[in-house]
Amino acid sequence: MEKKKRWVREVLGNYMVELAQQDDRVVAVSADLFRSCRMERFMERYPDRLYNTGIAEQNMVGFAAGLCREGFKPYAFSMASFVSMRACEQCRTDIAYANADAVLVGVYAGVSGGLSGATHWSIEDCAIFSAFPNMTVLEPSDGVQAQKMLRATLNHKGPVYIRVSVVPSADIYPPDYEYEIGKASVPRPGTDGAILCSGVLVQYALEAAEEIARETGKQVRVVDMHTIKPVDVQAIRAAAETGCILAAQDHNIIGGLGYQAAAVIAREGLRTKFAMAGIDDRFVPMARPDYLYAQFGIDKAGLKKKILELMEEASHD
Amino acid sequence: MLSTVKQLSLAALEIKKELLTLCAEKSIHIGGDLSVADVMTVLWQYQMKYNPLNPEDPGRDRFILSKGHAAAVTSLNQAAIGCFRKEDFFREYATNGGRFSMHSCKLVNPFVEVSTGSLGHGLSIGAGIAAGLRRKGNAQNRVYVVMGDGEQGEGSVWEAAMHAAHYRLGNLVAIVDCNGLEADGPVAELTGLDDIGEKYRAFGWRVVDIDGHSIPEIKGAFDGLGAPESEKPTAIIAHTVKGNGVSFMENDVNWHAGRMTAEQYEQAMKEIQEKAAL
Repeated sequence: MEKKKRWVREVLGNYMVELAQQDDRVVAVSADLFRSCRMERFMERYPDRLYNTGIAEQNMVGFAAGLCREGFKPYAFSMASFVSMRACEQCRTDIAYANADAVLVGVYAGVSGGLSGATHWSIEDCAIFSAFPNMTVLEPSDGVQAQKMLRATLNHKGPVYIRVSVVPSADIYPPDYEYEIGKASVPRPGTDGAILCSGVLVQYALEAAEEIARETGKQVRVVDMHTIKPVDVQAIRAAAETGCILAAQDHNIIGGLGYQAAAVIAREGLRTKFAMAGIDDRFVPMARPDYLYAQFGIDKAGLKKKILELMEEASHD
Repeated sequence: MLSTVKQLSLAALEIKKELLTLCAEKSIHIGGDLSVADVMTVLWQYQMKYNPLNPEDPGRDRFILSKGHAAAVTSLNQAAIGCFRKEDFFREYATNGGRFSMHSCKLVNPFVEVSTGSLGHGLSIGAGIAAGLRRKGNAQNRVYVVMGDGEQGEGSVWEAAMHAAHYRLGNLVAIVDCNGLEADGPVAELTGLDDIGEKYRAFGWRVVDIDGHSIPEIKGAFDGLGAPESEKPTAIIAHTVKGNGVSFMENDVNWHAGRMTAEQYEQAMKEIQEKAAL
């Protein structure tokens, strides 16, 4: 039976109310996307702690930087593509350069926006935000993690960007799951190979690993790299011990999680087979996310095929 | 703090002479420094509540140099009120490890409210600070944002202008240094902004047009500001001359930034003092 799925953006939007209850510094900012970011509860409960700048992302981010300067903790809600690109320089200069304690939340991460098309996809945001000094880049894989992640940002020093898929996901983690920014989670252990991934791809990787175990008896480790920057070097070192790493992300391969992992492997001289999966540096027409994930080989079937090929290659070495 | 027009005129002359002295040694954004020098002198040495011993004093007025290239004229005014020593400013300017350079950097200089340089950022940040002051119940302090006229070409300025009026941020004061020139030529030819004050008025701001080189008019604009808890942000449109007071610099795009020769320095110093004596 299919597990019940949740929308991570809804979890985040709802949890903002608790966050505001816990800390008076918390305020919310958006450029006309509070509803899209499922902030209705917050809008109802805290109308005086919410600033809507209208459709003006640059102003939204600069305004949030000003609120930080006065000691507030703004959470800015937008689409991943708009906050990372329309307001790119404000994120870099007003937020990152100032090392401001702001949290930027971008929904419609990757190609999860499907039928809305490339204007509403965000396949560059990890590359952009990872290149900003001081910036922490996060992507939750399920509702449990999303909530704990948001809680963890409250006392985090420095700016944080959270990219959020709008494809629903079944809960992966138990309610007592311990979350820490910068420390990867391993929802499935394994020593025959490892898939490093984030966001909605974690569940696809888990499904692929389960099938592989059933069919071949091989155990593939799934490493949830919810912190894309700073990347968890220890988790990559440990994954390399399996001799086989596939790094996959709903993002352009260039500048995404795979590049982060590749840099660690190269820098540390880790001996392992390595491949990347993701969007292969091209724009494609509007389509449903499941179709797109299949096209880019990052759905269950695609990840399964790739990691099996890699493990096969490794067996010949 | 200074109080009379005479004191302020002398202080402004002093700032301009110091700018020229620096410009004889190093390349600075002299054109835009000179155009805004009178406004900045009155702002820093008369108008603003600022504690030079504590740049994080909660009771300070906030200052954002949105035209971040006017860093020298800002630092010289801050030195004049005792934030740091003038000799240190001259010694450290544009040196490795120095606190002062072509733009303002908060990493090394605590008297910089927010780092600036790229245009069109300051008004949004200023609006955020103004809203933050309101949230904290601060009804004493204001936020001053100094911009250029060429800078008004940045769309983000108008995003912030709409937003500040909408949120009734009467504690926000935008000062536009209208020196008529941007880096490639006249603003009128490049951007066609026409009447900038009219535009702010249309966005719901209170607008004051002044001669930005008249100390009494500058002082009058500040004296006439509504209370910080009032509901309309104010735009002071300061009509100025780029390179003001130095004949070979005035209205010449080549003096957006640069360094003077010894001969040019002598002439410039002479002219600026003669002009002040008038």
